[in-house]
Amino acid sequence: MNKYDVIVIGGGHAGVEAADACSRFGVKTLLITHDKSKTGEMSCNPAIGGIGKSHLAKEVDALGGLMARAADKAGIHYRVLNSTKGQAVRATRVQTDRDLYKAAIQDFLSSSPNLTIKEGSVVDLDIKNSTIKSVITEKGEKIFSNSVILTTGTFLGGVMHTGLEQSSGGRIGDPSSDKLAQKLRGLSLKVGRLKTGTPPRLNKHSIDWSLLSPQPGDTPTPLLSYTSQASERPEQLNCYMTRTNQKTHQVILNHLDESPMYSGLIEGVGPRYCPSIEDKVMRFSERDSHQIFAEPEGLNSDLIYPNGISTSLPLKAQKELIKSIKGFENAKIVRPGYAIEYDFFDPTGLKHSLETKTISGLFFAGQINGTTGYEEAAAQGIVAGINASLRATNQEAFELQRDEAYIGVLIDDLVSLGTKEPYRMFTSRAEYRLILREDNADMRLTEKGRKLGIVSDLLWQKYQDKRDATNKEILRLKKDKLKPNTPEAKKIKKQTGEGISSNISLFEILKRPKVLHSHLPKGEITLAPNAVDEIEASIKYEGYIKRQKIDIERLQRNENTPIPKHINYEKVVGLSNEVKQKLSEARPESLARASRLPGVTPAAISLLMIYLKKERKAVG
Amino acid sequence: MSKNRTIIAPATVPGRGGVSIIRMSGKLSKSIAESMCGELADAWRFKRCSIKSRGGSKIDDGMVVFFKSPNSYTGDDVVEFHCHGNPTIVNLVIEEAVDLGAVVAEPGEFTKTAFLNEKIDLVQAESVADLINAQSKTAVVAANSSLSGEFSEQISFLLDGIVKARVVVEANIDFPEEEIDVSVLESVKEELQDFHAEINELLSRVKEGVKLRDGYSVAIVGPPNAGKSSLLNLLAKEELAITSKVPGTTRDLVKTSVNIGGVLIEFVDTAGVRHDPEGPIEEQGIQRSKEVIKKSNLCLLVQDATTVQGFDVGLGDFLTVLNKSDLLEGRFSNTDNTFYLSCSTGQGVEELLKALIARLGIDEGEETVFLSRQRHEISLRSGGLFLEEAIMSLSEGQVLELVAESLRSAHSALGDIIRPMSADDLLGEIFSEFCIGK
Repeated sequence: MNKYDVIVIGGGHAGVEAADACSRFGVKTLLITHDKSKTGEMSCNPAIGGIGKSHLAKEVDALGGLMARAADKAGIHYRVLNSTKGQAVRATRVQTDRDLYKAAIQDFLSSSPNLTIKEGSVVDLDIKNSTIKSVITEKGEKIFSNSVILTTGTFLGGVMHTGLEQSSGGRIGDPSSDKLAQKLRGLSLKVGRLKTGTPPRLNKHSIDWSLLSPQPGDTPTPLLSYTSQASERPEQLNCYMTRTNQKTHQVILNHLDESPMYSGLIEGVGPRYCPSIEDKVMRFSERDSHQIFAEPEGLNSDLIYPNGISTSLPLKAQKELIKSIKGFENAKIVRPGYAIEYDFFDPTGLKHSLETKTISGLFFAGQINGTTGYEEAAAQGIVAGINASLRATNQEAFELQRDEAYIGVLIDDLVSLGTKEPYRMFTSRAEYRLILREDNADMRLTEKGRKLGIVSDLLWQKYQDKRDATNKEILRLKKDKLKPNTPEAKKIKKQTGEGISSNISLFEILKRPKVLHSHLPKGEITLAPNAVDEIEASIKYEGYIKRQKIDIERLQRNENTPIPKHINYEKVVGLSNEVKQKLSEARPESLARASRLPGVTPAAISLLMIYLKKERKAVG
Repeated sequence: MSKNRTIIAPATVPGRGGVSIIRMSGKLSKSIAESMCGELADAWRFKRCSIKSRGGSKIDDGMVVFFKSPNSYTGDDVVEFHCHGNPTIVNLVIEEAVDLGAVVAEPGEFTKTAFLNEKIDLVQAESVADLINAQSKTAVVAANSSLSGEFSEQISFLLDGIVKARVVVEANIDFPEEEIDVSVLESVKEELQDFHAEINELLSRVKEGVKLRDGYSVAIVGPPNAGKSSLLNLLAKEELAITSKVPGTTRDLVKTSVNIGGVLIEFVDTAGVRHDPEGPIEEQGIQRSKEVIKKSNLCLLVQDATTVQGFDVGLGDFLTVLNKSDLLEGRFSNTDNTFYLSCSTGQGVEELLKALIARLGIDEGEETVFLSRQRHEISLRSGGLFLEEAIMSLSEGQVLELVAESLRSAHSALGDIIRPMSADDLLGEIFSEFCIGK
């Protein structure tokens, strides 16, 4: 019989992480995608990482995922953002070669042991007794599985807008999955509509590069993955920057009535960040210039992605707009920019495992849940993959908490709060930001991944080496003291201005803001850069992290206060109807989760707490 | 708005009087009132009416007024019946309404409904209870100033300021490539210093408020037979403590609360402390006196003006009262800390009380103290500490995320007093101020 443990529908960033996680877990997995050659395609700008996003990518990596490893095989420009700030908010951003990235992903998948990839499109789902049974392809083929992961991205009910012209599709040149969208709209799931946009792509040779300011990558060049080697990286390129000007803004104002956003054609909600250039000019009229990063699409590509001017104006207006920009005067538009509207499912209909609450065995991951970004998609993909595998093998769901990972923050935000705009990760979303760092994603997650069986021997060995070296080094820093007036002390004074007046441990000296690990006398252990980061962060943040841990413990008590599945909120005295309705709909599993629901006040939580205590007494 | 439950309860004290008011809140209020009183006047207007039972018999002649949601005390539809002040009539009106679908309100349910409907915030909800329980004029004024939202307003003002600072700091962290004006960061520190000073000022008022709510406690101490009990009796204007000329008569503590200048002050009369207590009972009393001294805001050390004795029990803040001034033939004068008076003639008491009020720090008529709870004090104090930490980090050139962390903690401490704010709200502020996104 045509049967798999897990079926993943969609070959985007969520789909490939989900499928590979299942395969590494050891369950028989099928990935169904429209076009095999487009698996792992970067449909927006060719970059991975950035603030908050690199944290997600590294967490996926620490769980054995693909994204960071593929980015290192394709990375042509690396920068660490926030390098003048502390470890918690530093973030690696990698500009990649689109083709190399895709090739790396496809290469990983082709050697994935339990994975079959099939070209096709799923047009129907077979659901009986609120449980998924099988999927049906466009050829009428029925494939059975008890765990199905839907990662259809923007392909559901996708409509593209260029000026006032519309066409149906999920990405230029790809059909949208209308039949599946219709099927899903018929299920008892709440559907919303979002929009996102892209800029026009330019021909590399038509840009006058001498007029743009170059943005070289960082040296030494970092890596995104914990396991990548510097030798895997391709040749490094510069990026370039230019700006819009008043003439550009005038062009936009002249053509505003041809923008589908302003003519009311687009019903979906766009993000407040990363707005279209029309939005920027309208909302921030006091600014007479916005920056544009001219990012190469690849080493051998003739395409340039002008990051910062996504637009849905008609082609004629786009041409005028581009011409007005310094360096782009003669630039040729190879592909016009467009806005795309698509369906998403209200993520409050999901459990923390990313399984839908109403249909057992049906999981959603990626843009279908209202997120934007490759990293956000990959993070959900790996969690959905793990949980589909656990379900297939009759095991309990895997969840990450808000204090364990940005992945935990992402999923908890989605599932508890839902979203009104495409959801993107920012570090300010994480209350335990100081604990959730790039440098320690492996320390936080690799053991969990190993237990699940999805972490390779290579990553496991690297993790253990780093853990042991870090622990040893911290012991040394605590033990070794520095005396005043020694050459070492004088060196520190010279480099940092920090004087040493009495015997003090290296550990204590490192707490001072200006002192770095590199200023201290060296020990015998050689440390990887991210091990040094981890040591510095854990020492410098020590007091704050202790405080956060107290917070976490306090919350943990609420996290550990379960709310019975069949609680009747009508019986909780004092709750307003509004709160009752919210709780009845969301059915949070714990008191802490209830407290994070919008509109659920602290007063309501104390009423609920009292009720739960009374109930437990009555039972016990 | 809570629409499932229509609640009713008397709003005035039980007992006989001119008028009793019965308050009813909830969706059914209007229809219940109309079946009892006929058609009501326009909202917020009184109507004179007969209040009738369903059988048609008249319960009372009175007035009825309808407050339409959301412009009512609870935020739901509210009806008030004003009837004659007779418990039997009040009960009949309530029974009739209950028969028509209302339920008798739990204690505090009206205020709770108002809070849940966001008509008032937590501070206001608490001050309603305080207003009802206030025992002195100053306490009423303070409760009113909290209720009117003045305290909440001050906290909101501070919160707004902290949010602005956070917006700048967080935007700098999350959007380092967005050309956000860094010079703004420099002015952030100055603003934070202002907020910190303001918190300290608010804190001192809140501390007063906490004291006001709990009342002040003044211990009367001194050697045996100096006239401690006589002073208490004089203050209470009635015989509370047994007085006699035998030293060591007061073995149990005697307390009385006196309203002085609008402030409730509890005086505690203690056993005279001697160094060679005779027998176990007195020793116990003396031990207890020492505990009272520890808990009180101020001590009055009472001495016999004719035979001043040494008294070396730790007192904290104290005023010396020299009793029996009538025996000194007018040859004495008060100092800042020493007051002559006579418990038998009452001479000198006014001066002592004035000094007492000043020493307790009860400012009359100047800035209103807020009637506060311990939790406000705790939240404010930790908010202040976190702000201080943020200011220090900025001065020391600490990395920005630590400044951000201190500000987040300060924000959440102060937010606890009124209402918390989510990360998404903060991002919303950032997006509205800065053009984010390349």
